[in-house]
Amino acid sequence: MAPLLEVRNLKTYFYTQDGVVKAVDGVSYDVNRGETIALVGESGCGKTVSALSILRLVAEPAGKIISGEMLFDGIDLLKLSKDDMRKMRGAKISIIFQEPLTSLNPVLTIGRQISEGLEFHKNMSISEGMEQATRLLKMVGIPHPERRVNDYPHQFSGGMRQRAMIAIAIACQPQLIIADEPTTVVDVTIQAQLLELIRNITKELNTSLILITHNLGIVARYAQRVFVMYAGNIVEHGKALDVYHSPLHPYTAGLLGSVPRLDEPRKARLQPIEGQPPDLIALPAGCSFQARCAYSIPQCLREKPVLTEIAPNHFAACWVSQKGLRTWQNQ
Amino acid sequence: MTRFVIRRVLWLLLVLLVVSFITFALMHLVPGGPWSREKALAPAVVAALNARYGLDKPFFVQYGNFLMGILHGNLGISYTYQNRSVTQILMQGFPKTAILGTTAFVFAMIVGIALGMAAALRQNTWIDYVCVMFSTVFASVPGFVLGILLMIVFSVILHWFPTGGWGSPSQVVMPAIALAALPAAFIARITRASTLETMRQDYVRTARSKGLLERVVLIRHILRNSLIPVVTVAGPQFAALVTGSVIVETIFSIPGIGRLFVEAVFARDYGLIMGTVLFYSFVISIANLVVDILYGVIDPRIRYD
Amino acid sequence: MATTVNAANSSVRPHHTLWGDAWVRLRRNKLAMAGGIFIILLTLAAIFAPLITPYGFAHQDLTAILQNPSSKHWLGTDGLGRDVFARLLYGARTSLAVGIFTQVIVLGIGLPIGAIAGYAGGRVDNILMRFVDVMYSFPDILLIILIKAILGGGIYQLFFAIGLVAWVDIARLVRGQMMSVKSRDFVAAARAMGGMGPYITERHLLPNSLGPIIVSVTFNVPRAIFTEAALSFIGIGVRPPTPSWGSMISDGYAVIFASWYQVFFPALAIALLMIAFTFLGDGLRDALDPKLRH
Repeated sequence: MAPLLEVRNLKTYFYTQDGVVKAVDGVSYDVNRGETIALVGESGCGKTVSALSILRLVAEPAGKIISGEMLFDGIDLLKLSKDDMRKMRGAKISIIFQEPLTSLNPVLTIGRQISEGLEFHKNMSISEGMEQATRLLKMVGIPHPERRVNDYPHQFSGGMRQRAMIAIAIACQPQLIIADEPTTVVDVTIQAQLLELIRNITKELNTSLILITHNLGIVARYAQRVFVMYAGNIVEHGKALDVYHSPLHPYTAGLLGSVPRLDEPRKARLQPIEGQPPDLIALPAGCSFQARCAYSIPQCLREKPVLTEIAPNHFAACWVSQKGLRTWQNQ
Repeated sequence: MTRFVIRRVLWLLLVLLVVSFITFALMHLVPGGPWSREKALAPAVVAALNARYGLDKPFFVQYGNFLMGILHGNLGISYTYQNRSVTQILMQGFPKTAILGTTAFVFAMIVGIALGMAAALRQNTWIDYVCVMFSTVFASVPGFVLGILLMIVFSVILHWFPTGGWGSPSQVVMPAIALAALPAAFIARITRASTLETMRQDYVRTARSKGLLERVVLIRHILRNSLIPVVTVAGPQFAALVTGSVIVETIFSIPGIGRLFVEAVFARDYGLIMGTVLFYSFVISIANLVVDILYGVIDPRIRYD
Repeated sequence: MATTVNAANSSVRPHHTLWGDAWVRLRRNKLAMAGGIFIILLTLAAIFAPLITPYGFAHQDLTAILQNPSSKHWLGTDGLGRDVFARLLYGARTSLAVGIFTQVIVLGIGLPIGAIAGYAGGRVDNILMRFVDVMYSFPDILLIILIKAILGGGIYQLFFAIGLVAWVDIARLVRGQMMSVKSRDFVAAARAMGGMGPYITERHLLPNSLGPIIVSVTFNVPRAIFTEAALSFIGIGVRPPTPSWGSMISDGYAVIFASWYQVFFPALAIALLMIAFTFLGDGLRDALDPKLRH
């Protein structure tokens, strides 16, 4: 079966006073129906921008999708008219933003904000929409939904606001949900609850999910496949367990090494990755990761590596790995 | 919400009380009594007049009488127009001032908000540039000065409008514009800044991500939030308009309350002065109260204070 | 999207103090500079008026009344043969004096009250702020007129009358600054080291609030100037022979159809001066805004 979403060679640049920021520089990934993929990387690597690009919500005029294809159910999203794209947003593809406090309009009730999409896409009246909103609030686990539906965002706690955001995202039963760091701003216990909630809902509605995160700890449990991004490119992707247990890119290995693990001896030190991510305006000629890489060979300085299948269904963009010279450990 | 309103109304009454007291006290400090004219009156006559108006009683008794009078809707007697009560005189002047003030205020709000939003939505285009220039210039020139300049250009030179008086619509145009220009410019600046700020907010992006029409995003998400700071300044702007009308009425010879006040000060007409100051304070306080309530309606976050 | 800085090749910007940085930003703002220059030129012209024009403010020449601008009288003459240009220059003295001296009173009353309210907090603050609320309900022109009527007299009483009503904004501003500084961590640290009220005020409060105070004063000056003109127009402001743009307007008002120059020039002068101060004030506000610093 064809994937639900195919992003091919997406390039999104930002034009600033200081130069052109190549936030997304030739990124490709795909999501199958009912599948959850994780898009992993540190802040500033371009994962949020690539997600916003799918919905064509990139802030113009500074930001622009330069080239690429985004095939959703066979339709190229980039070629759609503005009106048709609008019909997609919220109805077929929706997004859960990272900051639930600022992402909710303070002067509208939660219920109204959920029912807006229903009014527009499903032609419901306001009262029908509010009824459905109440049901959705119940689905995302908010107690006393019939009362809460008339409350304002400032009356909700952080975790509850994020649940409300989830309710907004699933309201029109989209085929694809993008969750942009949905748990970064809540504390750890709520994190677990929210992730379970998202997983249950996507299973129940058979929705595909793009889970964007920098937290590798949650990736293996919730995603089937993983795409690792660095400095605007995908540097590795494959099945979650494969990537997790035998990372083919030193960056991934570094990320995994820097995550505390329960099954490791307590005395083992965390290994952070040295250095800083590169300036996206002035990317180096060869591999972007080379400056921080402990394993680089001369070719890494000269040529930018290309994503190649190094193990079955497991791709990486790394000369060292490609040549079979991998020396970092398996997990 | 009702508790909020009741509290504010009570506060309003207290404020008016204090205002009346301060004004009353100030009046009594003005040198020369209400009877000092060019030709001094005989002391016996002055004494008789004082007795007649209760001006020979101790200060607090006078004040007490005055307050009692207010409760009966009686603001006292004018000392210059001795056969009419202050209330009567105010009621005569009120319609003119009210029409002028309301026209100017409505005009200022509509033009200011429209201009400000247009500038913000079309940032860095010529609309934005014109709006910013316009609003900076006109936010500095008060009604008095603008009124004179308008009068010179449009009355004296072009003969398009009469220089003053009251009775026909053409006589409202210039004074209303003179009064409204500064508040309009100020409101335009605030609206523009606020709208720019709102447009950058995350929740606008959320609204777009739901696929709503841009028109809906604009009205339901951007507009309402942008207007919050504008409503906050509407009260003081209204107060400024009210006080500005005093001078503008004088320039354009409009027989409203402002001009009455000026004349009353010159004539040491205690009664009329008290009445007009109280009246203006009342109007300003009501306007502030309305603004506070409106603010609560627009922004639910402060309702539950 | 923010760019991420590569530590190896980023340059360190030269360190500017708040004031140095503010001055640079102010200089770049052409409107603010234009406003500032206009004010300075006008002040100089007012000070050196006797050197610029041979005519005095009250010098009447009944043989040359209501003349249009000419080489002898650059801006014409009024109904009593007085030279308009000269009156404009001398009137500027009054306007600028009012602008400046009222601010002295405003700061003298507003700063301490605001600081006390902010620092003491609690009931003292409550009472003072209620008082401020009452002041806001007063139509301020009316109050000024009343106070001036009581005080009578001329320009000094006018300073007082205007200042007595205008201190409210500064008090509010200072109180706000005081309260926000009071709750900041470095103040707790200073206190922990034994620093007391005056030290905190001097070292922390003043530098932080000086910016907004300067901006507020810059916007208050034109309001005072305008109030003087308006009051003098009505007849309650300064008394002749003290020169005033406001009284020039009221003098010329009667003959506005015969010759509108006498009303036009003082009105224009007021407008330009106020616009200049607004440009300058806007520029100062932007220049001193810490959020816009690099």
